[in-house]
Amino acid sequence: MKRITIDPITRLEGHGKIEIFLDDAGDVANAYFQVPELRGFERFCVGRPAEEMPRITNRICGVCPEAHHMAATKALDNLFQVEPPVVTKKIREMFYSAFYVTDHTTHFYALGGPDFVVGPDAPPAERNILGVVRKVGVDIGKQVIDTRMRNHHVIKMVGGRSVHPVAGLPGGWSKAISEEERREIEVIANQNIEFALFSLKIFEDIVLGNPEYMELVLSDAYTDRTYSMGMVDAQNRVNFYDGMIRVVDPEGQEFVKYHPRDYAQHIAEHVEPWTYLKFPYLKNVGWKGFVDGKDSGVYFATPLSRLNAADGMATPRAQEAYEKMYETLGGKKINGRYQPVHQRLATHWARLIELLYAAERMMELITDPEITDPNVRAPVTATPTEGIGCVEAPRGTLTHHYQTDERGILTKVNLVVGTTNNYAPMSMSIKKAASALIKRGTVISNGLLNRVEMAFRSYDPCLSCATHSLPGQMPLEVVIYDAERQEVERLSQYTSQCGT
Amino acid sequence: MDWSAYTSHLDMRSASVIDWSMRAAGCTTTTAKTLVLGLGNPILTDDGVGVQVAEAVATRLPLDSPVDCIEVSVGGLMLMEAILGYERVILIDALYPATQPGRIHRMTLADLRAMSVTEHSNSPHDAGLITALDMAQRMGLPLPAEITIYAVEVENIIDFGDTMTAAVAAAVPRVTEAVLAELFQSEVRSPKSVIRNPKSVIRNP
Repeated sequence: MKRITIDPITRLEGHGKIEIFLDDAGDVANAYFQVPELRGFERFCVGRPAEEMPRITNRICGVCPEAHHMAATKALDNLFQVEPPVVTKKIREMFYSAFYVTDHTTHFYALGGPDFVVGPDAPPAERNILGVVRKVGVDIGKQVIDTRMRNHHVIKMVGGRSVHPVAGLPGGWSKAISEEERREIEVIANQNIEFALFSLKIFEDIVLGNPEYMELVLSDAYTDRTYSMGMVDAQNRVNFYDGMIRVVDPEGQEFVKYHPRDYAQHIAEHVEPWTYLKFPYLKNVGWKGFVDGKDSGVYFATPLSRLNAADGMATPRAQEAYEKMYETLGGKKINGRYQPVHQRLATHWARLIELLYAAERMMELITDPEITDPNVRAPVTATPTEGIGCVEAPRGTLTHHYQTDERGILTKVNLVVGTTNNYAPMSMSIKKAASALIKRGTVISNGLLNRVEMAFRSYDPCLSCATHSLPGQMPLEVVIYDAERQEVERLSQYTSQCGT
Repeated sequence: MDWSAYTSHLDMRSASVIDWSMRAAGCTTTTAKTLVLGLGNPILTDDGVGVQVAEAVATRLPLDSPVDCIEVSVGGLMLMEAILGYERVILIDALYPATQPGRIHRMTLADLRAMSVTEHSNSPHDAGLITALDMAQRMGLPLPAEITIYAVEVENIIDFGDTMTAAVAAAVPRVTEAVLAELFQSEVRSPKSVIRNPKSVIRNP
């Protein structure tokens, strides 16, 4: 049997690795996506005051500290049974929208975008943000950095600290927004909307305008028909900060809509011997293995699944973009809602639609007359026992679950993080892409392996908190083994770009 | 593809990135400032070494010091953005795996380029530090003239915890002294354990 591993720089531990095993004929027999485990997160937290969790969990990872901060803060609302003032919810959601703008921008221009802008077969040294800048010009590169920096400025101003915010409190937010700050943020929100429209235009011109790319997007190699999960508001529209969790089946019918606090009734975890990370699945459908379809409990939780699970977007221009995507990718309307899109590479498009939604939502909230209300805290009086908080993180539904003693000292901590939701569908997507692309006699090139990685990259996986791994990093390596389990090929994703 | 259509589509505020960075660095147009940046996760055992050193350096500086000390755990793009606008930057980070835990390396970007990456400059969610710096240079952003990296070999970056292993904890005062010596531009008498490359301070072209 031939074995292929996609692995990161070998001197690092704590990395993700894709191993591909070939059969005697040289076709793909199996593909495994393995991740390491960091130890002792719950042990680290138990015995500490629960109100420290927004500041502890935002240290798990350098990629989405804001998402952990928000899920933890909401878990504290629930733990201390306190309803935050309306203005506080608006401030939190506005802050969270600014974070979404930075995160989705980074993914498109630095991570997912290079595959399309620079090309899927370009050398790895070119397939990065520097390659994008070379291709599209310095001015656009400046726009990307400017977008990140102005929104990080908002995060720092409103969240109290750069990168690792500190403002979340049970039932509150530690500071109100002044009129001066409000005016400054309004200007930034407007720039964000322009930037999001501009990014969508780039995507549409580069990808939709290129038949070769469209063929890639629509190909079976990148299609998995699983259930879709996402948070929705009262009108079943996408919301990142608050709402119910809705799951639709592969045909687009609502399977279940539940309160995030009831997650344990709906989600169970499957264990495999070859990896530390567990595979969440829909408990009421059941685990049927790494297969798609209506009878398999595998679901995905990404920008694409959020759009699939919702009936639409809550802001006007994002709604237009949403309709365009579903019309273009052939989603028919059944019972007034589009059927899901299952082409995983369309996730990049969905991400940009979410970027536009985040920008528009930020504008709506910062121009809300109530947003400068100084009463941002509700008093905490209840005795804590248990609290669950949930937000949509950029990489999927994020749930924090704490139990405490009567003093609020943590006794149990469970996190279901964004990427973990996608572990099973990611593994399936990798195997499917590998099987479609690596056939008997195929010359395994770097470009080919990149196409396998593209299956995985659309999920924007971040295993640093999924496994509580190294902060903000999950380099990758592919290793291929033959039928005798001899290594025949090993390619590192970052080797060339890092200059070794 | 004609990208000029895109650039005309937007109000290209070409100077605004520089404005943001100068503002973030707290700079006026005339002051040259120094940044000491501790990189790492303070709750991942030895990974917190950079953070510990940055905090130790901060407590030793006078209140009116023109030196800023910050700590973050981020990847290349964010790191690049954090150092824009500063004249001089000293980064402190963990290096893994170790040949000798607690061993200190003083490096430059050229060294970093040669040895691939430090732990934190490599991420699927971000660009590597070298890539991010190359990008910033290409865009004409105000990069520091001088970047020095102190990397400490570490033993445990797998377990959560806020206490470092003994050898790494023992390195903290040594790195702190080395950074302070460098800051005060006195004769750098690095501790013997600091491996120092004679060409170690590079200047950006």
